[in-house]
Amino acid sequence: MRFDATVEGRSLRVEVRGKDGRYTVTIDGRPVDVDLEETGRDFVSLLIDGRSYEVGLEARDGGYTVVLADDAVHVDLADASRGAAAPPPKPASGPARLTAPMPGRLVRVLVEAGQQVAAGQGLVVMEAMKMENELRSPRAGRVREIPVREGQVVEAGALLALVE
Amino acid sequence: MAEASFKKILVANRGEIAVRVIRACQELGIPTVAVYSEADRPALHVRRASEAYLLGPAPSSESYLRIDRILDVARRSGADAIHPGYGFLAENPAFARACEEAGIAFIGPRADTIALMGEKTSARRVAVEAGIPVVPGSLEPLAGAEAIRREAERIGFPLMLKAASGGGGKGLRLVARPDDLEAAVARGRSEAESAFGDDSVYLEKAIDGPRHVEIQVLADRHGNAVHLFERECSIQRRHQKIIEESPSPFVTPELRERMGALAVALVRKVGYENAGTLEFLVDADRNPYFLEMNTRLQVEHPVTEMVTGQDIVKLQIHVAEGRPLPLRQEDLRQRGHAIECRVYAEDPERGFLPSPGRITALRLPGGPGVRDDSGVYAGCEVPIHYDPLISKLVAYGSSRQDAIRRMTRAVAEYKVLGIKTTLPFFERVLRHPAFLAGEFDTSFVEKVFAEADRERARPIDVAVAAAALRAFRDRQAARLAPAGDGGTSAWWRAGLEDLHRGRL
Repeated sequence: MRFDATVEGRSLRVEVRGKDGRYTVTIDGRPVDVDLEETGRDFVSLLIDGRSYEVGLEARDGGYTVVLADDAVHVDLADASRGAAAPPPKPASGPARLTAPMPGRLVRVLVEAGQQVAAGQGLVVMEAMKMENELRSPRAGRVREIPVREGQVVEAGALLALVE
Repeated sequence: MAEASFKKILVANRGEIAVRVIRACQELGIPTVAVYSEADRPALHVRRASEAYLLGPAPSSESYLRIDRILDVARRSGADAIHPGYGFLAENPAFARACEEAGIAFIGPRADTIALMGEKTSARRVAVEAGIPVVPGSLEPLAGAEAIRREAERIGFPLMLKAASGGGGKGLRLVARPDDLEAAVARGRSEAESAFGDDSVYLEKAIDGPRHVEIQVLADRHGNAVHLFERECSIQRRHQKIIEESPSPFVTPELRERMGALAVALVRKVGYENAGTLEFLVDADRNPYFLEMNTRLQVEHPVTEMVTGQDIVKLQIHVAEGRPLPLRQEDLRQRGHAIECRVYAEDPERGFLPSPGRITALRLPGGPGVRDDSGVYAGCEVPIHYDPLISKLVAYGSSRQDAIRRMTRAVAEYKVLGIKTTLPFFERVLRHPAFLAGEFDTSFVEKVFAEADRERARPIDVAVAAAALRAFRDRQAARLAPAGDGGTSAWWRAGLEDLHRGRL
């Protein structure tokens, strides 16, 4: 089975063969022999060339977050046999969306539509989990839209501001 | 009240601290009563207690803050004492008074002491009377905008704006310049109003490069009082502690003795009973300034327990039963070193924003010298309604270096999947040269994030192999599973689609 993997902005061709815990994963032509043991829900133990890795896997959109001993690596995967390409890298320009990272209440809106803001400037203050959190502009630019008002309760992922 | 052993203790809290108190009760052979909100039916403290009763809907104002319902549960269950933990009603004098009036022992100080120390400017006044140095600033709460402005001019900038009924960093703001005052006052007061139902504030001169050092005290109603030395709490984010240790690498034996004596002097001055903590700022010249007193069990009490060998929760219960403290100051010593890392459901990469949700999988650290005071388990949900602290990881070692290495090892063992936590942040702090040298103040976290992290050789091959194998195995499992089996992952569904298309 072949995949197109994207990790840290690099695209890699990956092929997996094998069964019953013994696999060969070929990454851009380099074969890696892996001995895999499932050690719990979302955890596997990998032995690669005698080295032992305890690995956690979190499913996310388009792939997995692989949790290693002191690091976490995002790996996007697309199925090569379907011709589905890896998701294109995010454009560097274009309007940036500030969305609610968690459900909560908008305590204050700090800017108005049309206003110029610096990257990192506070746009709104949200109360969630007993704390007021200032949410900052993802980029410098002009506030195109603030579709929320003070006092409003929003769900996670709700659009709070559009900066262009 | 005479000396009497408690027959049943109600724990008026949730999360890790409720579990911590239940554990102490179990070791003392005292049955426990848990209370819970509708969001917390599956919570660990409900599972661990001998009995558990519903308080009400998820918002704490309708559950964990409902004095009437908690006392009703105490009466119905036959509990003769209530441990409030920290937060919620722990420092609410009305709750302590209601317990006193209901004939139920409140495991904490008397209601009048809580009220005296809870209003931060009255605590500052009584400290001044006891001869304890305080940070220069207001000795009365300030209500109007004009009064705040005048007081700010008198004290001078930079200054700290604080909630008079405050605590836990809520309502707290550093105000660098006069121009920033108005905005800081607006936010500080609104946060104070929503957290404490009181928007009055006070001002203190900002101390340059301060260390946050606190002294643990214990006192009984027979006039005995001891201190259990200091905790170093300078590593903070949003003015909330995130790593604590004891002893403090900054505190000399002379300073330790002086701060301990100041703490015991205040305890005696107010006739304090039970466990409490005096918070101090210590400036670069090692001058201590009293900040406030927390009239409750502190989140970070385990580091003191590890280095003194005492169990503070059991001692709280012991003195609340009316017994004299079983130890004198000369019995107490600090041995070795302990560090606590607070594992919060927060994303350190995004300014420590809360990250509630389901913990899909969990791996806990263990081995020598490691203590995990946790309130969660694999499969449980971290609700959006409460404080996002999920666990306190404590490492003990013979020296500071030993404790840091042990903590580094324990953090690497600790895995929480499904939500973001502060664990990756600890990994970074524990190898930071300033932390290793013990040279840091309360601005440490900001400085760490301002620096570029070291470039590391990341094991990309391992990560890619693990992800690809997971996808591969999910697809195979989907093909082998009977149709209609409710697999949910995208790869599972893709495998099923292949199966239906005859693409095997």
